[in-house]
Amino acid sequence: MANDGYMGKILRVDLTNKKVSTIDTGKYKKYGGGHGMGTAIFFDECEDPTVEGIDPKNVLTIMTSPLSGTIAPAASGRTEVQAIGTQGYPINWFTRSNFGGRFSGMLKYAGWDGIVIKGKAKEPCWIDIRNDKVTIQSATGVWGLDTYETQEEIWRRVRNSSGRQYGEGWYSIEKGRDSGNTIFDPCVLAIGPLGETLSPLASLIHEGGNGAGQGGFGAVFGSKNLKAVSVIGTGEVVPADMKELVDTRLWAQQYSARDATVETFTGLSPVYHMGVIEQTFGERPGGAVELGAPTDQPSVPYGCMACHRCCRRRWQSGKSNGSSCVDFAFYSGADSAAHGKATQTVLDASDMMQRYGANAFTLLQMLPWIQTLWKKGILGPGKEIDTDLPMELWGSDAFAAAFFEKVAKREDVGKYLHMGIAQGAEALGRFDKDTTSGDLPVDAWGYSQHYDVRAEVEWGYSTLLGDRDCNEHDFNPHVYWVPTFSHLLGIDTPYTAETLNKTIGEVCARGGEKYKDEKLLDYSDEGIYSDSAVHLVAWYRHYTRYYKQSMLFCDWSYADLWNTYTPDNKGLTGVIEPRIVKAVTAKNESFEEGMETGRKIWNFDRAIWCLQGRKADMEHFTNYAYDVPQPGGATPYLLPAYIDGKWEFHDCTGRKLDRDKLDAWKQKYYAFEGWDTNGVPTRKTLEELDLKPVADALEKAGKLS
Amino acid sequence: MSEEKIITPEQEAQTDTAVKVHVAEGKKASSGAAQPASDQGMTRRRFLFSTGVVGAGALLIGQGVLAFALPNNVVAYPTSKGALLVDTKKCANCTSCMIACSSVHYGKASYELSRIQIMFNPFAPYPQGARQAQCHQCKDPKCVAACPTGANHVDTANGNVRTVDARKCIGCQKCIEACPFETARVQWDPTTKTSQKCDLCVTSKYWSEKGGPDGKHACEEVCPMRAIKYTTELPKVDGLEGYEVNLRSVDVDPKWAAYGLPTGDGGEWSADQLKAMQAAAGGATVSEG
Repeated sequence: MANDGYMGKILRVDLTNKKVSTIDTGKYKKYGGGHGMGTAIFFDECEDPTVEGIDPKNVLTIMTSPLSGTIAPAASGRTEVQAIGTQGYPINWFTRSNFGGRFSGMLKYAGWDGIVIKGKAKEPCWIDIRNDKVTIQSATGVWGLDTYETQEEIWRRVRNSSGRQYGEGWYSIEKGRDSGNTIFDPCVLAIGPLGETLSPLASLIHEGGNGAGQGGFGAVFGSKNLKAVSVIGTGEVVPADMKELVDTRLWAQQYSARDATVETFTGLSPVYHMGVIEQTFGERPGGAVELGAPTDQPSVPYGCMACHRCCRRRWQSGKSNGSSCVDFAFYSGADSAAHGKATQTVLDASDMMQRYGANAFTLLQMLPWIQTLWKKGILGPGKEIDTDLPMELWGSDAFAAAFFEKVAKREDVGKYLHMGIAQGAEALGRFDKDTTSGDLPVDAWGYSQHYDVRAEVEWGYSTLLGDRDCNEHDFNPHVYWVPTFSHLLGIDTPYTAETLNKTIGEVCARGGEKYKDEKLLDYSDEGIYSDSAVHLVAWYRHYTRYYKQSMLFCDWSYADLWNTYTPDNKGLTGVIEPRIVKAVTAKNESFEEGMETGRKIWNFDRAIWCLQGRKADMEHFTNYAYDVPQPGGATPYLLPAYIDGKWEFHDCTGRKLDRDKLDAWKQKYYAFEGWDTNGVPTRKTLEELDLKPVADALEKAGKLS
Repeated sequence: MSEEKIITPEQEAQTDTAVKVHVAEGKKASSGAAQPASDQGMTRRRFLFSTGVVGAGALLIGQGVLAFALPNNVVAYPTSKGALLVDTKKCANCTSCMIACSSVHYGKASYELSRIQIMFNPFAPYPQGARQAQCHQCKDPKCVAACPTGANHVDTANGNVRTVDARKCIGCQKCIEACPFETARVQWDPTTKTSQKCDLCVTSKYWSEKGGPDGKHACEEVCPMRAIKYTTELPKVDGLEGYEVNLRSVDVDPKWAAYGLPTGDGGEWSADQLKAMQAAAGGATVSEG
């Protein structure tokens, strides 16, 4: 093990042949870790990337980063998962997800930089990793359990094999006092009933509320007869310069709520106190759950490994510990409508969702859709969509329980919903109709709309150019939540649109000349089709691919573009990431070089999608994005915009996207990235990025222009 | 109160390993069979003569063991200048403290090498679910008493912190066995085959801060919840009953209350908090939902 944060080896498990082997990490270090490594390994190990997600030929990677398991702030506990997903529609794209907790650090402590899972087991099984010892265990007695029960059963089995029970203190992993000692139960990544039955809704769950939801990886586990992966490790991660790493952690903390005084912890405005602007480095602990979560029961913050802010919570009821944000949002509207406020019901529903192993983001639009169909008289007993779902109990525990049971058992309407939101709507003959009307806001590739593509285009465009709801909160809290909620509160936004654009523009420019743009945050009707939007999306794609998904800096703290505690409000991004990477890996890599690695990984992914069949004429949102005006709601959809020579927060309510203008914008973006007019990376681009074998594969498949 | 499994005073009375004295309280108790190795054969007269001190107790240094000899073959140790307090009801289970501990002491990020341990059940209802196992710097350090070589000793140069000199450790694990808590506060390093324990960061060389009783403590410095606090005033509830404190009260951490998090001793909202919440609900115009 070198002193660079890496453990030096990656575990390969061939479930078909029950064979365990290792891959040398060294070959993949140039990708950093996490996603970059996963993409390169997938490319090397998957013999046919055009198969469906549930095909035994699919290869799934679970990757850490050199920072995992260290004291790096909000960069220690994320784990990246990649494979051909099951959620992608109409094609199961090669895709990704990411979950928090302690799994990645524990995997490193066990001596592994990642896990590659291939093939399909003959019988249900789980993978048991105890330091170097890896075995494939029978899942008899585990298959059929929910995700929490699965974890508890595996904890029990691992503890019992050491003669200990939970809470008994230190125990040895193997016999003998020097085999490694721990007080921890293993970290387990499990699927629930939805994964076992191969639903595209199925997620992977670790501990409470740590879920890899998007992509439908639960069904990939299920298709391989794999119930869970368990890991317990007693080793250590050795950074190159620990002193610098610890000092950096302490330096960075001063720009967070932890070290702020009680007078200043809300930053510049009460909006930071509302539980909606929590995806930033500096914000307070436990704030990721308040929107839609009950306020009438005590709870305390709950954090991932070595996090400096701990954004989630655990509750007096013990229900839904560790859940956050959308884990509540998918049912909070229903709960509040039924009870007049957020109640225990939303915690109960979230708990059910976690236990079944369901993707909350899909439910976020699926539930309102079936309610709309019910209100329109299309869904219900004896209706076009015949179901005895108790719609009259909407917002209750009973409705949530009935919903999950029907989906898991594939009963009446549950048979269709189990197929996934897009696939189910297609089977019901409603996909085109309801995505045209906007009743079913699935914007691209079978994923629920997250932020409105008609307004917040950096999010929508990234989803369209990629493989899934991009779900990266780099710009979103600053450009949308702060101005919009300031308006709701009737107070001044803590910054002007001009100041925000200038400050964030300067931070982003730390990534290199190619991202410099004086109107980076121009969300005006013209700006969203401009070169500025190209630069914005390119920065977003390159930054997230390397720093967030490969080096595994957490999305809820990075990028730090606007910081309420620095003297000039410039975020730490561009400074903190290279400093941490250098302290851990000894790699003297500038921020600009890191961004370039992100560009490389983004192009690598793009090439794989092209191998799977991606073409420019497929890259369209569903019809509602072009035909139905952004509906607005209780608040305006405020975003910074440069209009008539002035900056303002512009209400994007009512906006529709223009097909022709978006097509023209796509060509500008393709050209910026070095892709051809069909959106395929050129040989020149790929070879400049040291990806010649990828260009060769595209050429062999007849995809290269 | 502490959720740790501990040996009760009754159980303790049946053991033969403890030296039962509280220096601070001046209590005397029946002596156990085991004494520090250096104390064997030492009479009170010889002790006073060798130190030149007249009084109820005096320094005794031999094989690295420091203790006070008291009448009737009773030995006590000078009280540590300070210790770490934890509030388990404030812990977020992030384990930052553990990783910081191993990082600053060994230059390695590790759970196994951490001298503070966090035990948690992610599914347990609050306030259950989190337990912090930190060294109490016991007034009556059984780990020190059990050490046959003086490796586990009282460090008079650093505020009497109980610590281990790994060079003298022979790996017998008697100090681990002697720690009265179910999750021993002395931990085992299988690589060097030595024991280690919290030294209040006296030997923490992998950061720029100065540790020790008068310095900073890595676990306290990184804890995002400020659930760990160094104190020079040890709580009245000592030793086997643990150091369990409320670090959530408004006077200790005003931000905690401002976040709306529970400040009551049992993990409940305080009466003041409830009153304020009711008042806010009555006059609220904007719901957080």
